[in-house]
Amino acid sequence: MSFAEQITRAAQGVPKIAVGVLLGVLVFGIFMMGFDQGHLFSVAQGDQAYGDMWMHEFYHDMRHAAGFACH
Amino acid sequence: MKTLTFIAIVLCSGAIAGTILALINQGVVEPFLEKAIDLENQKAAAEGEIINPNEIAAYRLWQKGGSIAGGAVLGLSYGALFGLVFAYARNMMPGQNNTKKALVLAGIMWFVLYLVVALKYPANPPAVGNPETIYYRQALYVAMLAISGMAALGAGFVYRRMKSESRKFIAPAIYATAVIAAFLALPPNPDTISAPMDLVISFRVASAATMTVFWVIMGLILGAFWDRLKPHETTRIRTI
Repeated sequence: MSFAEQITRAAQGVPKIAVGVLLGVLVFGIFMMGFDQGHLFSVAQGDQAYGDMWMHEFYHDMRHAAGFACH
Repeated sequence: MKTLTFIAIVLCSGAIAGTILALINQGVVEPFLEKAIDLENQKAAAEGEIINPNEIAAYRLWQKGGSIAGGAVLGLSYGALFGLVFAYARNMMPGQNNTKKALVLAGIMWFVLYLVVALKYPANPPAVGNPETIYYRQALYVAMLAISGMAALGAGFVYRRMKSESRKFIAPAIYATAVIAAFLALPPNPDTISAPMDLVISFRVASAATMTVFWVIMGLILGAFWDRLKPHETTRIRTI
């Protein structure tokens, strides 16, 4: 005769994959939203991206509102 | 730990809190932004630049869309950090349930990542801020953010390692020393404020209010998700 036993336990620690994914989101997201002055688009667009500053203009209002450096 | 559940609730709570922040900002912070941008445009017009009001209106509409997207991205990013810290620090937080624990941590992170940094480098509306000093100002902001964040992390580790009651004084003292040193050592914002001071102050108050609401909402949502889905538990079914 067999029984099914369900064990619920609290595991300590955080899986490495979760740490990696979340740190990646943090760094990329904050850079894109708060700091990019054309850097990301310059990969495809070249120097023109630094003139257009698409990300800076697009996230402009939130940069001001959240206290990031802007103008 | 249920890895996927954990990542999903962390990113969801961040994105929801960030989007709510952006929506509240439309009513609370945007009026001051608009006023500052009007002043900027008047100044440019007075200097002989030709300003097309229709073009500006269309551009501003696009930027307001961007501010909603920006809220979601900001929420995702800070939410990711908040979720990670919560996963490690949950057991150290006071409170009987995860909602209360998450609210306490959200309060700490609001203090460390928003208030302390804003006291040194307060938010400014458009019309304040010299484009030429943008990299310098960003570097100062990141330095203050990093020092405050790292000092809090260090204080947290000390708190966890020490067993005696004195840790309740020693951990905050470590944080306070590092932050006060940074306040004194880092140079002030290099830009002179040319916009009317009452506009700048109102803008800062509005910005501080909505950022505070953002952290509270993020704590509430992640805590509620955590209580319901319990991502720290692993369930195994085995047959005997």
